Amino acid sequence: MTDTDFLEPDEQALAQRFIDDGFVTTPADDRAGLDRIQRRAAELAADYLKLPHSNDPYAMLDTIHTRVSVDDLNGLRLHVFNGLNAEPWFRPTYFRLARSTIEIIVGNELCMQRRVNLSIQLPGDTSSLLATHSDVWSGDSPFEVVVWVPLVNVHRTKSMYLLPPSLNGQMQDRMADLRSAEELYRTIKPHATFIEIPYGHVMLFNQTLMHGNRVNEEPGTRWSMNCRFKSIMSPYADKRFGEFFEPILLRPATRVGMQYKLPGGFHG
Amino acid sequence: MAERTGHRGYIGARPLNGSRTPQHVQNIVIRDYARRKNLQYLLSAAEHTMPGSYMVLEDILDELPQLRGLILYSIFMLPPDEARRRQIYDRVLREGCDLHAAVEEITLSSQKDIQAIEDILLVNKFATIL
Repeated sequence: MTDTDFLEPDEQALAQRFIDDGFVTTPADDRAGLDRIQRRAAELAADYLKLPHSNDPYAMLDTIHTRVSVDDLNGLRLHVFNGLNAEPWFRPTYFRLARSTIEIIVGNELCMQRRVNLSIQLPGDTSSLLATHSDVWSGDSPFEVVVWVPLVNVHRTKSMYLLPPSLNGQMQDRMADLRSAEELYRTIKPHATFIEIPYGHVMLFNQTLMHGNRVNEEPGTRWSMNCRFKSIMSPYADKRFGEFFEPILLRPATRVGMQYKLPGGFHG
Repeated sequence: MAERTGHRGYIGARPLNGSRTPQHVQNIVIRDYARRKNLQYLLSAAEHTMPGSYMVLEDILDELPQLRGLILYSIFMLPPDEARRRQIYDRVLREGCDLHAAVEEITLSSQKDIQAIEDILLVNKFATIL
């Protein structure tokens, strides 16, 4: 790490973990907010399936595979995704889940992805897999991070995998000789780690690292959300400011600076 | 053999013909095309931004035995090399699938459709656009 004397020891430790491991997991800053999101997701799922609202949202989500078919899965996913993103409290709450970590890793003048994504992985389902990728390869800026939040406990294939930073570079160097993303997965498989995250925790990860998911071989359904954050003045790639990101925190000094004009009228 | 599902979308992060289209707009175009043609749209896969990478397209081609076909955002997302394109057409047809390009509203479902696609790509390569 560079000059860490300006950081508190716990901030230094967190930053170092992110650099070394490519991710950090922490308890949600706003546990009540996370529970509210989980409850609303379960209500929206119940509405879609024409079921009564459950008193146990965790169980409702974790066992959803007993109530929905693979054919109907994307319809359910879109219903919950649209319903959550339509709630005015949803995105500010999502940000609050990880605010302290985002501010240490990214900064405190931020933009946020306009729509928080939702993934649902039924046990044994092959239809919703994400092949090995880095987000940067599909148009994200390397200056972004992903805040990844499970709504149920995730571990092994119910979670996502990540390639450690120490190996990412050398695997990228071999990539152009490979035919497909599936072949890339077979190459990195021995080194990829499935990240264990209990409900109530959030993960912030480096999306320049290779990651993805496989068929969920655990008994429960995975529900997870993901959303990108970046420092507002850092470089953008194909995911542009305005169309993909919008500002959420812009400080007064920056507003003043953007509006300032030097005195004119000189003709020397 | 397992029952085939619908048509996989294929979008990208690279500019096409010098202009770019946001990925969510590419998806809207594909979804609208699928709706109008009565095709079951499956979530799009996004090609890598690195020039010359077709790894994601290869994944979709590997998936063809489980699909009815694929819908490209544009025909100009195909590789610039004609021999490589012809391998793709052959693979799609051999698997009993079809290939669509949403922007150009083109369908390739038999050998006779190949020339129409190739004509567009070749003319575009040589013609001047003001």
